[in-house]
Amino acid sequence: MTAAIATSGLVKTFGSTRALDRLDLTVDTGEVHGFLGPNGAGKSTTIRVLLGLLRADSGRVEVLGGDPWHDAVAMHRRMAYVPGDVELWPNLTGGEAIDLLGRLRGGLNKARRAELIERLDLDPTKKGRTYSKGNRQKVAIVAALASDAELLLLDEPTAGLDPLMEVVFQDVINQVKAQGRTVLLSSHILAQVEELADKVSIIRHGEIVQSGTLAEMRHLTRTTIEADTSRPVTGLELMPGVHDLEAADGRVRFAVDGDHLNDAVQALSHFDIRSMTSHPPTLEELMLRHYGEELAAAGNGNGEER
Amino acid sequence: MTATAVREPTRTPTRRSPGNVLAGTGTLIRFILRRDRIKLPAWLLGISLLLFQLATAVSGLTETEEGREDLARFMEGEVSAIMGPGYGRDSISAEVYVAGVYGLFFFVLAALMSMQLVSRHTRVDEQNGRAELVRSTVVGRYAQLTAVLIVAVAANVLLGLMVGGTMTANGFDGGDGLLFGASVGAVGLVFAGITALTVQVTEYARTATGIAGAALGGAWAVRAVGDMIDDYGSPLSWFSPLAWSNQTRSYVDGRWWPLLLSIGLAAAATAAGYALSNRRDVGAGLVASRAGAPVAASWLRSPLAAAFRLQRASLIGWTAALAVFAFMFGAVADQLTDPDGMSENRIDMFGGSVDTLVDGYLGVITLFTAALAGIMAIQGVQAVRQEETKGRAEPVLATATSRWTWLGSYLTVIAIGLVGLLLVAGFASGIGAAASVGDSSYVWEMTSAHLAQVPGVLVLLGTAALLFGVLPRAIGLAWAVVGGSLFVGMFGTLMDIPGWLRNIMPTEYTGQPPLDSIAWQAMVILLVIAAGLAAAGLAAFRRRDLETK
Ligand SMILES: Nc1ncnc2c1ncn2[C@@H]1O[C@H](COP(=O)(O)OP(=O)(O)O)[C@@H](O)[C@H]1O
Ligand SMILES: [Mg+2]
Repeated sequence: MTAAIATSGLVKTFGSTRALDRLDLTVDTGEVHGFLGPNGAGKSTTIRVLLGLLRADSGRVEVLGGDPWHDAVAMHRRMAYVPGDVELWPNLTGGEAIDLLGRLRGGLNKARRAELIERLDLDPTKKGRTYSKGNRQKVAIVAALASDAELLLLDEPTAGLDPLMEVVFQDVINQVKAQGRTVLLSSHILAQVEELADKVSIIRHGEIVQSGTLAEMRHLTRTTIEADTSRPVTGLELMPGVHDLEAADGRVRFAVDGDHLNDAVQALSHFDIRSMTSHPPTLEELMLRHYGEELAAAGNGNGEER
Repeated sequence: MTATAVREPTRTPTRRSPGNVLAGTGTLIRFILRRDRIKLPAWLLGISLLLFQLATAVSGLTETEEGREDLARFMEGEVSAIMGPGYGRDSISAEVYVAGVYGLFFFVLAALMSMQLVSRHTRVDEQNGRAELVRSTVVGRYAQLTAVLIVAVAANVLLGLMVGGTMTANGFDGGDGLLFGASVGAVGLVFAGITALTVQVTEYARTATGIAGAALGGAWAVRAVGDMIDDYGSPLSWFSPLAWSNQTRSYVDGRWWPLLLSIGLAAAATAAGYALSNRRDVGAGLVASRAGAPVAASWLRSPLAAAFRLQRASLIGWTAALAVFAFMFGAVADQLTDPDGMSENRIDMFGGSVDTLVDGYLGVITLFTAALAGIMAIQGVQAVRQEETKGRAEPVLATATSRWTWLGSYLTVIAIGLVGLLLVAGFASGIGAAASVGDSSYVWEMTSAHLAQVPGVLVLLGTAALLFGVLPRAIGLAWAVVGGSLFVGMFGTLMDIPGWLRNIMPTEYTGQPPLDSIAWQAMVILLVIAAGLAAAGLAAFRRRDLETK
């Protein structure tokens, strides 16, 4: 597979703020890539550099095989963008704005436009100034998704949508994915990325701190195991990779590093398992490991990295 | 704005104490003063300084008998009716001239100050959702409107005192100075009241100030026409709030009672504003926005078409306003056909020869119209800048639209708009002049004279484009150039403008047709300069980061 997006060592500063700090991001063609990070991490800045709206101070950017700063127009014919903070023209209706943006990109699919407007429950006859944040977002989503763009850059596209519309949105993105298009989906809504993304990159202070499939990431982190056993569990806490073991009344609970999971479960089976549940780490836990050192230190007891 | 439906329980029969609906007014007043700590003093001082400058200049002109006769001429007939009803023209003096002719500028400035003040702290705040935040605290229903109106009254009282003080400082009578100051402040009060009303009606601050501005324009037109009908004003004049301030006759036989009408209108408009504010939700207007087209017109498919669509309303408005303006000035050209008793000064202003007075006058008017067109050009570029800072340029530039095409489309639309505007205005003034002087050749002469000013105005546009590309935050500097051109055009002959200042004004080089012949060479050079400036601006914009929200 070729990379739809490849950046390396990307640096972007605004005065004294270092918004991007040697950012390396790779998004393969045809995948839905979750781009996770808290506010101010540099998600929007990255996307704007990918669009050639901002020029990186240093580093390499390649989008769809070209340089977005120099070949912006050629690239943009093949890309669609939903800004994080959508502003519309006060005296154009939502429908006019959708058509204008679509046509400026080189045409949009009328049937898909109608379908999206209907599914997202958008009134296209209202003037831009009367739309709420969520409805402005819907206008931008329709304009982007009704195009035939190969690469979609969506900057927190559902920040203003209600839960019902989020479900519709997920469905629509799954359709897009089925058509083989590439999506970069930035978000701080973890559940959504979890649902849609093949791969995830986590950005923090302008730097990608972790990237990979969700399975890989889970592998790198601890799984929590809870089990009822016939015989009291002993000696498990001495095994490598096992943490925070609590045992009482024939019930045991511990966390185990991904690469020691197999050994730990085998060892556990010697004590005659009657029932067992395991919890893979959620993205919240993944994020917490990178964002809340203090939180992580408090929550994970020993607070060691990885 | 789903969260704005904070419906006040207006229909509850329980009587509330007034303290309740006004809670927080005092704090809000301090807050307004804090936010406007630069703007308001700048308005007040700026107006006073301009008055001082003009009063000094006019005092110099009235030292000789000839100068006085000359000024008196300017207060006669239809030309004068544009500025005022002409009280005191028989015994002209500097203060009579300042109050009677230049008074109009100060009325308009007071109105603009008040309109902006009131809309800034009412509808602009609501539109940006700030009002909602404030209203969710312990702030009464009427507190925001009351606070800004109290500040507006105080500002206009202060303005009146400062205007009166400035006149007195120039050595004019103190009592009449106060009356003139009160007349200026009264216009401010009227338009503060009218704006308090219009901001209730529309959801959109620009529409609200637009309606108030149209009311100001209408008030001027009614008074101008009314004063043309009859010496010292006709009954029609009295339908205009601007007339009431003129009718105080300061420095002639001053009377205070016409200002009662102003206060009455201000109070009535304000009361209507309060009543309407009671009938609507925070953030909403009285007039719900109408539904529009669900799909874009088929021609709206290129960056150029988009730029035209977004500038269209402003282009049409400017063209219509300047056409009316140019027609009126053209229509009074016959006033200049008789040079008897005209002073050297005045003849100098209109070209220096008694034989070409009409052409000279029309040349000055043409230059003035061109400078006003410059305002439109710069406003246009500022609107483009707003597209960028408000985040609307971002999605467009993320389509297959290059920076060059995007900005270039806007500049093209504004440039073509300027040509159209000057063409229409020139034609209108030509018709007016041809009808009043009885010489149909003026139609063509005035049209071509206006078109000859196009290159100079395009240089202004190019300057704004360059600033947009290189120093977008400093785009306001372009106002200095257009303001300078306007000032030189309007007061140039009254005051000594230094040569270097004249020389940097692009409108200085195209001459003043129809008096002068059209300066083809200068036009070509200016066009090249304008194109160079615009190209530099485009190139710089291509190189810089887009400013995002
Ligand atoms: N135009 C700008 N000028 C100055 N600082 C900026 C600008 N744009 C972004 N930043 C800063 O860069 C950092 C990253 O911002 P952003 O990319 O918007 O983060 P995110 O989208 O992840 O919330 C923040 O600290 C932000 O304040
Ligand atoms: Mg962001």
